[in-house]
Amino acid sequence: MSRQIEQLVKMANQIALNVAAGQDEVIVARETAAHIRKFWTPAMRRQLLDFRRAGGAVAPAVAIALAALDNTDSNRSDTQ
Amino acid sequence: MLQFYEPQQDYGTPEAVAGAPVQLSIDGRIVSVPEGTSVMRAAFEAGVKVPRLCATDSLQAFGSCRVCLVEIDGMKGYPASCTTAVQAGMVVRTQTDQLARLRRNVMELYISDHPLDCLTCPTNGDCELQDTAGELGLREVRYGFAGANHLHAPKDTSNPYFTFDASKCIVCSRCVRACEETQGTFALTIQGRGFESSVSAGQDESFMDSECVSCGACVKACPTASLTEVSIIEHGKPEHSVVTTCAYCGVGCAFRADLKGATVVRMTPHNDGKANEGHACVKGRFAFGYATHSDRIASPMIRDSIDEPWRLVTWDEAIAYTAARFRAIQQQHGRNSIGAISSSRCTNEEVYLVQKLVRAGFGNNNIDTCARVCHSPTGYGLKTTLGESAGTQAFASVAQTDVVLVMGSNPTEAHPVFGSRLKKRLREGARLIVIDPRGIELVDAPHIRADYHLAVNPGANVAVLNAMAHVIVSEGLHDETFIRERCDSEQFAHWLAFIRDPRHAPEQLETDTGVASHLLREAARLFATGGNAAIYYGLGVTEHSQGSTAVMAIANLAMLTGNIGREGVGVNPMRGQNNVQGSCDMGSFPHELPGYRHLSDTATRTLFEREWNVVLDPEPGMRIPNMFDAALDGEFRGLYCQGEDVAQSDPNTQHIQAALAALDCLVVQDIFLNETAKFAHVFLPGSSFLEKNGTFTNAERRISPVRKVMQALAGKEDWEVTQDLANAMGCPMSYAHPSEIMDEIARLTPTFHGVSYARLDELGSIQWPCNDRARDGTPIMHVDEFVRGKGFFALTEYVATEERANRRFPLLLTTGRILSQYNVGAQTRRTANSSWHGEDTLEIHPHDAEERGVKGGDWVGVQSRVGNTVLRAQVSERVKPGVVYTTFHHPVSGANVITTDNSDWATNCPEYKVTAVQVSRVTEPSAWQARQRQFDRRQQKLLETAAPG
Repeated sequence: MSRQIEQLVKMANQIALNVAAGQDEVIVARETAAHIRKFWTPAMRRQLLDFRRAGGAVAPAVAIALAALDNTDSNRSDTQ
Repeated sequence: MLQFYEPQQDYGTPEAVAGAPVQLSIDGRIVSVPEGTSVMRAAFEAGVKVPRLCATDSLQAFGSCRVCLVEIDGMKGYPASCTTAVQAGMVVRTQTDQLARLRRNVMELYISDHPLDCLTCPTNGDCELQDTAGELGLREVRYGFAGANHLHAPKDTSNPYFTFDASKCIVCSRCVRACEETQGTFALTIQGRGFESSVSAGQDESFMDSECVSCGACVKACPTASLTEVSIIEHGKPEHSVVTTCAYCGVGCAFRADLKGATVVRMTPHNDGKANEGHACVKGRFAFGYATHSDRIASPMIRDSIDEPWRLVTWDEAIAYTAARFRAIQQQHGRNSIGAISSSRCTNEEVYLVQKLVRAGFGNNNIDTCARVCHSPTGYGLKTTLGESAGTQAFASVAQTDVVLVMGSNPTEAHPVFGSRLKKRLREGARLIVIDPRGIELVDAPHIRADYHLAVNPGANVAVLNAMAHVIVSEGLHDETFIRERCDSEQFAHWLAFIRDPRHAPEQLETDTGVASHLLREAARLFATGGNAAIYYGLGVTEHSQGSTAVMAIANLAMLTGNIGREGVGVNPMRGQNNVQGSCDMGSFPHELPGYRHLSDTATRTLFEREWNVVLDPEPGMRIPNMFDAALDGEFRGLYCQGEDVAQSDPNTQHIQAALAALDCLVVQDIFLNETAKFAHVFLPGSSFLEKNGTFTNAERRISPVRKVMQALAGKEDWEVTQDLANAMGCPMSYAHPSEIMDEIARLTPTFHGVSYARLDELGSIQWPCNDRARDGTPIMHVDEFVRGKGFFALTEYVATEERANRRFPLLLTTGRILSQYNVGAQTRRTANSSWHGEDTLEIHPHDAEERGVKGGDWVGVQSRVGNTVLRAQVSERVKPGVVYTTFHHPVSGANVITTDNSDWATNCPEYKVTAVQVSRVTEPSAWQARQRQFDRRQQKLLETAAPG
């Protein structure tokens, strides 16, 4: 795993741990996805999605968030 | 504003706090002034100057010199006009034959013990004693110099910036009172009695050996040449002045740059400056010599590799070379392979242009600013909770505060002029809570003692803040009315259930926080019930893995207790550098445009697209740490770094250096060859704050003018360089003056709509928002409603940092700043300020030192999980057992070789304040330091051999 991917995984897990701490996993995943969508570059999102698709491990809420991001980013690229 | 040199106007005594108007007659003129005004000040208001020596309007009246005597109908004798308050119907005479005789006699006595060397005196023509003697018509001194006198009293030249010549002292106590009232250090005193009375620093020490902090307040207050700046002794009286704004910390003091020709001979704190009201610190007041230091680089330079010598080139060549290399990188590696870092040391106009160049010229949003590594959590946290990424108050608001909460901030070192304001309020009786792992000066200072010092374990800020909120809620001390009227009720209910949970009780969190639960409870009660409560916080809050959470917890506390939206209260982020607020305001973060508007907002984007005639990328760009990670992976290859020294200031130095070394083209624009520039391929010489026009925005949202007082050493102001680069890259810019850049900012940014250079000239400074709804600006925010509408209580769960002490790394290192040095020290290390702090040291508690056999002055290795360095130990009880502390002002210290990549979850602000380390005695520098010295020598050599090419 490259250092960059390592950092992205760490950041995503940390966001999930903090962004809606103590709340239902669905809410945590939704807020995590929103945060990543708002502050990460498309390349960073893509790298993490690729890592996940290749079976990389992330926190459960991040996995849900990435699935949601995968959909929205795919839809966006379809329409662009 | 250019003006011939004139001493600043002095009303004699301070302005009275607005009271009922009182009418009186002075020399036949009817004047109306507020109750509590002195007769001396009332006279000045009426256009009558009463002679005086011991009075000045920055200090309380003292009544010792007996020169300001007046006659008042119905009053016996000749009262001192400085200590006599006006009364309705008073009839005052300031000029009578009897008064003239009395004053002349007094003056004669003063002069009988004063050297008559006016023609060779450094303050000749700028001396109140000389002026007053003239005003009083003193023509002879009858007593001669044969008797005892002080004419041969010794000079104290220990301070590098000013001398104390006791022979010229009239013992008026203005210096002593300035040290007490203005600065709050109490380093000076009058020792002895009667004829033996003399000014003494500390316990009859030299100024340098005493507790004097060299703020210069005593020098400014001195009415003679007794305390005089060395620069004035060397150069003489200035001949013109320009009002400008300090380029050091986020207080943003206004100064008069006093000049002789193009040489700055003195920086005098400007009495009309609203941030500083005539006060200054050792940096702004004296440490301006770096601007003309021989290390300044005056020519653009380029090189293909960092192992090659620099080639001195023309501006045109340097700009063309940069543009060509950036475009080549983009062609080969894609549009997003380059980016820029702007600096909070630069002006609003400069950072605005850099982000415009990136968005409109580079065609991406890879723009970030050094605020990433300091106050980005403030932006996130305050925007989320209150709706605006800025502090809520003016500095002057603290005068109405009853309870001050200082958290993770060390105002007397890092924001000294505000620190003096704060100390004044504390001496007046305001209560104080300090939350800090370290015993900062405010915990126990002359005439100040914190009511509570909660020595929190590094990393546990959120736990402490939650525990305080828990106590307030569980004891029913919150302000229900404020919350009901001003805050989102549904979210508050949600938060209330969260914070009431027993897991937030101080007793439950004691192990994490390290704070005794009873102290925390008492502090919370004081904060909630002690009257107007204001929170001042700094990087000790933001530079954590939960920095943003802590900022939101702070905002929660303020809303919970109704302490927001009026004088004396509020949430006040103490910004580190001069223009942190401004650089954030100007759209320097990769996800938002000026005015904190997200790129995804089509309406905002369209506004800028029309103005700039481009199509903007709606996606966020890379943050600084993302850029470095991508550089190491070969995806990010070109960086334009303006005014920032990431190789020294950013965490995990070895990682940063590797990333910089991996770049194909690093362009550094700076006034010195800083640590980052040693990795650069292009060096664009920058201009100091004295060499350009623009504006800075301080921690209280105050936009202040920066005015050019000398020509740019390298021929161009920084904004001109960015403009040239933009034009070379096909992004047309044609500003003739920074005022035109501000006009564009104002057109595009609602909170700046009313800002212009003309308005700044008119008002002196403006606190944004400034627009049709607030034409003169906004001193206090969120008065009737929050910017976001209803205040939002964010849930702030405490999540412990991953960076923990263990058996291998048993101590927690936290970092900070010291008064005499500034940030990476590039400026202050090139001044005499290094007399006070020539090296960074490691503070270690006596118990931890003893355990390791470490004594004060020993070299110690500091090893963290990412690196190690060697510092000299300073054994101190300012830190508690288990905690060590250092500063990062000297590159060779390698403080950031130890700090890690951990960062705030929301913003990636580095976790500088928590690093697990081990400390042990060593005898030689670390391997990194040895390599660094070698690298530095090599780069200095390459600089020295730079030649036209």
